Amino acid sequence: MNQSTSTVINTILTVALRNLLAHRRRTFLTIGAIAVGLASLIFLWGFNEGLHRNMLGNFQDAIIGSIQIHHQGFFQHPELSKAIANPQKVVAALRQADVSRYSMRLESFGLAASDITTQGVMLIGMDPLREGEVTQLGKRIGIGRFLAPEDEYTIILGATTANNLQVKLGDEVVIIGYDRFGAMLAESFTLIGIITSGEMGLDKGMAITTLATLQQMVDMPDRVTTVVIGSDESRVPALTAELEAALQGERLEVMPWYAMFPVMKEWVSLHNGFLYLFLGVVLFIVLAGELNTLLISMLERTREFGVLMAIGTTGYQIAAILLVEAVVIGIVGIVSGILLGYVIVLFTGKYGIDLSILLGSTSRFYVDPLIHPHLKLDHLGITSGVILVASIFAGLYPAWRASKLQPVEAIRNG
Amino acid sequence: MGNNQDSSIIDLRNLHKCYWVGTMPFPALHGLNLEIAAGEFAVVAGRSGSGKSTLLNIVGALESADSGSVEVLGQDILGMNSDQRTQFRLRNIGFVFQAYNLVRVFTARENVAYVCQLQGKSRKESMEIANHWLHEVEIGHLGYRRPDQLSGGQQQRVAVARALASNPKLILADEPTANLDSTTGRRLIRLMHELNHRFGTTFLISSHDPDVKQAAGRLIKLADGQIVDSWDEVPEPPQSLSSSCPSSHLPLGERVRNYIKLKRQSRGGKRRGGNQRRS
Ligand SMILES: Nc1ncnc2c1ncn2[C@@H]1O[C@H](COP(=O)(O)OP(=O)(O)O)[C@@H](O)[C@H]1O
Ligand SMILES: [Mg+2]
Repeated sequence: MNQSTSTVINTILTVALRNLLAHRRRTFLTIGAIAVGLASLIFLWGFNEGLHRNMLGNFQDAIIGSIQIHHQGFFQHPELSKAIANPQKVVAALRQADVSRYSMRLESFGLAASDITTQGVMLIGMDPLREGEVTQLGKRIGIGRFLAPEDEYTIILGATTANNLQVKLGDEVVIIGYDRFGAMLAESFTLIGIITSGEMGLDKGMAITTLATLQQMVDMPDRVTTVVIGSDESRVPALTAELEAALQGERLEVMPWYAMFPVMKEWVSLHNGFLYLFLGVVLFIVLAGELNTLLISMLERTREFGVLMAIGTTGYQIAAILLVEAVVIGIVGIVSGILLGYVIVLFTGKYGIDLSILLGSTSRFYVDPLIHPHLKLDHLGITSGVILVASIFAGLYPAWRASKLQPVEAIRNG
Repeated sequence: MGNNQDSSIIDLRNLHKCYWVGTMPFPALHGLNLEIAAGEFAVVAGRSGSGKSTLLNIVGALESADSGSVEVLGQDILGMNSDQRTQFRLRNIGFVFQAYNLVRVFTARENVAYVCQLQGKSRKESMEIANHWLHEVEIGHLGYRRPDQLSGGQQQRVAVARALASNPKLILADEPTANLDSTTGRRLIRLMHELNHRFGTTFLISSHDPDVKQAAGRLIKLADGQIVDSWDEVPEPPQSLSSSCPSSHLPLGERVRNYIKLKRQSRGGKRRGGNQRRS
């Protein structure tokens, strides 16, 4: 029985494959439609992923890093009185977690004043040596230079702020701040650099000096409010959990970038949602195209199927012929789609896609004009799997109809 | 002939069959009795519409009948379900249809081998059997050709070879020569007759072709769904359409639709009667 079953299966496979080959043009057009649909989806996923990596990377690199640790409640209400009680504990936890890219900051609010006017600013004291480990702020100084370790009372302003204050490099800027008890302080700084990132958040309302200078100004030697950590995107959730566990009971908050700026995360989800919508559209086209092909193929063989049933072929065997055709079309289409899509992603990923024509220099926000598509396996798997299922579904209806044929009618009307 | 139960291969008793188009009955067979013995070469003749195809399809377990009994190879065909019929056809009956019998994407040999493979024989064995039967129908050298590379007569020979390849007791051929020119048709019939002689396979062939009738070992004359002894005989018409096609044989769906229609008519009739505008 086993031997004979396999003979029957072989025979059915042969009928199906021969038929696909007999109608080469129709078969390859259908396969081509699936392949092109899948390849474009794969490319879009890759492009999307590249865009997100680029954008999220730049967003984190700009100033916020991947994860920040503060005293509880500091992110919502930054006050100097909420400095980190024991930075050494944090450093120990970071070592334990094998994190080497981190930097300390002291953050507060203040006013920047020139002879003309004053501007509210976020006052940040940075470690000039370690900051480069976690952000690329140093590379965004369009005019002048970044902080140096030996600097004292030097300051960097965003382009918009500098413009409003009408100050230029070397000019004096007075910073008015408050110490942790609320007493007013004022110091004079020399402008050494201007941030010209094109990003509103950075160009406006930033005043950056060295950590040591700010600690001295507010009389908080060795105190910090913020530990900024740089991490691989894929490790962020796990690292956050690890640090939270390690620092339990220290009255600290461990915040990944997406907890601080959930909008960014939602934006990524929204983008992915659009792609799922597009997946639906491609799915529909694939389904309709293949259904059409198989239905035509079934209808023009009605008589042949009728004869085959008359001489002893069962309805299931007839259905199997059409299902095999559907599956073969689906699998060949998917394999070629994956290859095509993968090659496109690989190629564009290597050389990048230049979007500078589309992105004006000021509206780039966190996006580089050169996008490097990158393919994630789960996206590839979901997309290919769904299209495979769709292609099998496309075969179900013609197969079901063929299996219900009555031989006499099929022979008479076919 | 026919008294010996074992040698009777077809035994039809009081067979009735109507087709329904909507609620319109089309009588095809009325009270047909027929017995065919093993090894016969029988031809069913009759005008178009006389019921030849219906008869062959019922004998071939392709169609059901309304009433009567159908025994083929001692088995009650009407009592079988669809799967049993399929198996019955595969094991016991060879078919030759009027035209386009073959799978287009298969060679002649593969077409013949197909039934053997369906029966579970290996591809190799099936191909050997196919070769054998293609030689028997005198086109052994054309086994590698596809149907579209064969003439109509050659295609019918492939169909005959396929019908024989499953080693059936009975071959049913519904107007096998209708699409052939008369010389080719005559040759095909002669070939079938020869095969019938040599292998003892029973043939039941339908045709309205005089050449075929001439070759018949036994001629069964069919007129208006009944067997007649001579063409001069006018078959007795059934008493009425409703007696030969009782509406109890109307398909269930149609019966329900019919019932609803009658209901609606009687209701609508009353309403119309109530507010008649004609005066
Ligand atoms: N599917 C059908 N629907 C309705 N009437 C049919 C159908 N098949 C056959 N008939 C009718 O049954 C009668 C016998 O038909 P058939 O067996 O095909 O005759 P033949 O093969 O001798 O030409 C004819 O009157 C024909 O019109
Ligand atoms: Mg007919």
